[in-house]
Amino acid sequence: MSSHSLDASPDAALPEAPVAQAGALVLAALALPGVLMMGAATPVQAQGAPESGVVGFKYLHYQDEQPGLKRVQVSSPSFYILAPLGPQWSIEGSAVVDEVSGASPRWHSSVSSASHMHDDRKAGDVKVTRYMERASYALGLSTSSEHDYRSNAVSGNANFQSPDKNTTYHVGLGLSRDRIDAVNGGFLNNALGKKKNTHELMFGVTQALSRIDLAQLNVTYSNGKGFFNDPYKAFDERPGRREQLALLGRWNHHLEGDGSTLRASYRFYHDSFKINAHTLGLEWVKPLSGGLVLTPLLRYYSQSAAYFYGNALANPATLPVPANYSVTNPPLYSGDHRLSAFGAITYGMKAEYKVTPDWKLDAKLEQYEQRSNWRLGGSGSTGLSPLSATLVQVGVSRRF
Amino acid sequence: MSAPDLGFQFQAMASACEVRIAGLPEPQARLLADLAMAEVRRIEAKYSRYRPDSVLSRLNAAAGSGQAQPVDEETAHLLDFAGQLFQLSDGLFDVTSGILRRAWDFHPTPGRPKLDGPPWGAGCAQHGPGGQQSRRPPEDDALAALLPCVGWAKVRWSGGQLALPLAGMELDFGGFGKEYAADRAATVLQQHGVRHGLVNLGGDIRLVGPRLDGSAWWLGIQHPRLAGQTVASVPLGQGALATSGDYERYFEHQGVRYCHILDPRSGWPVRHWQSVSVVAPACLAAGAISTVAMLKGAQAPAFLQAQGVGYLLVDARGERHASEVALGT
Repeated sequence: MSSHSLDASPDAALPEAPVAQAGALVLAALALPGVLMMGAATPVQAQGAPESGVVGFKYLHYQDEQPGLKRVQVSSPSFYILAPLGPQWSIEGSAVVDEVSGASPRWHSSVSSASHMHDDRKAGDVKVTRYMERASYALGLSTSSEHDYRSNAVSGNANFQSPDKNTTYHVGLGLSRDRIDAVNGGFLNNALGKKKNTHELMFGVTQALSRIDLAQLNVTYSNGKGFFNDPYKAFDERPGRREQLALLGRWNHHLEGDGSTLRASYRFYHDSFKINAHTLGLEWVKPLSGGLVLTPLLRYYSQSAAYFYGNALANPATLPVPANYSVTNPPLYSGDHRLSAFGAITYGMKAEYKVTPDWKLDAKLEQYEQRSNWRLGGSGSTGLSPLSATLVQVGVSRRF
Repeated sequence: MSAPDLGFQFQAMASACEVRIAGLPEPQARLLADLAMAEVRRIEAKYSRYRPDSVLSRLNAAAGSGQAQPVDEETAHLLDFAGQLFQLSDGLFDVTSGILRRAWDFHPTPGRPKLDGPPWGAGCAQHGPGGQQSRRPPEDDALAALLPCVGWAKVRWSGGQLALPLAGMELDFGGFGKEYAADRAATVLQQHGVRHGLVNLGGDIRLVGPRLDGSAWWLGIQHPRLAGQTVASVPLGQGALATSGDYERYFEHQGVRYCHILDPRSGWPVRHWQSVSVVAPACLAAGAISTVAMLKGAQAPAFLQAQGVGYLLVDARGERHASEVALGT
């Protein structure tokens, strides 16, 4: 399995509400009787039906490393298309090919041997959306396959807008079916034909607080059952069920002086592995002259360790065999650093440049630094080396 | 057979106008276009300065009389809007500034005879410069004589009653009347079920809805220096596009262009931009904002961004400056 995200913070930007951004003069004009038809069920007032299509291509490169060792490298070209189908429907789809190579995620950093791996992941999704007056409904399908991991998912989403359009409610439902067939059955030769099923439920509210302030609150609950172990890690044995709960609050504030927007977000996460995580994000979307928009960003992430995470041993010469280990009845245990207690900082910059009204170029550079002792209010897991990652993405898109 | 997309041309508000309706059979579309045209002509008749029986002429005729005049509801809304415009533009958009044109001759026919004479009454100069010597900037004292009669802040507007305190003061809705009419005409069409079409009043365009297939209309923006050519095209399926420019009415004197958009504080024409085009949800907003932007000079980009509208500025050298958000979105 490979993943691009540098941390658990959602990347999608909060949609800009046109009414929330409209200036006082625009609002004064709209208030005059007869200037706009009130309560009209026209495509004009349908919820965000796209007027034009978009095709885009992006290329992402990810590299992480620990001191003295370059680890996983991901190269990932992706393609995206959105096409309106009449005034009330749209279809969008994307396809991505990941090429993952390098050392597999390192055992505790105290063990220097790291096996090399190479994998390709192919993934695609398609989504159809129907736009109604003050509501939209979407149905999506997605699939992803690697040589040892396949995943199929279906999702349904609905959005409802209040009559004054200041409040939007979101409801989402997702189901995924995964199948794991580890090469050679994995460490214990038993990771073949393993399954993992996940159900996800999401509810959210977006509220225009004022002309220049937009707030959003999302709650996501997911419940997964099946095989959560890392089949390639020795002694890795995790619970067969994982429940996850995430609360996300976002706030966009438009600065009228220079037309820029501040985006702040906070996410709290809790799961049945007893990991608690906090993400604090800050972005500043700054339009410059000539069609260039720069967005510096900063994120802080902190998590506690899973209750079955085993700390690295003080003596790096010894293989970290868990206490009371038994092949027939293995105790819950994992040395995966992603389940350890740590803190992380991501900083970066996004740039978007509108070459013409239809052509757009974008680029993103993010640097991720993870340290055990950056954990919020605690010292974090012991014996882990610092982890760094660099993400570069370039893209081009065209409206049609 | 392709779906009908019909244009109905007409002349109103001293401009070439068009109502465009797609997706309806010709007889029905014609009937609806007539309704939209009737709405434009109603507004023209009600607020024209050139018709002695118009609401504005009646209000202007009472200037300096000391008598407050009652106004109807629609006029009251427009007067409220004029007050908001004045306030939100820091006094740059002023519906009382039309009289400054008495000192300037932007009429396309040179040497048009004009009344001449000294200022009279309790107010300010009521007549323009002599006929043959027009088409040149006025003397400072000609403007100075008019400026006392300019200023929305002097207008007494409350309780549905309006009084212009000084003789010679005049209200002029020319700065937004056409745009208001475009919005009202588009609303009439929408109320009758038209979903695809537009209303174009001399380049002030309000969309009724996208093309029949849901795609955007491509709207051209007049090149400020090359007649008959466009400086940009904007795809728009809803909302409105309006342009203010220094090319609509102007004259040149000793190599300097003097256009009809006058700063109400000085009485002199704006010089910073050749044209400002604005995309906004309504034409009334787009038109007012484009005019204020012309008057704002170098502060126009910040002002436009604060209004959250799409825009295209053409500066004095002819270079284009577009908003970061595409004009069409």
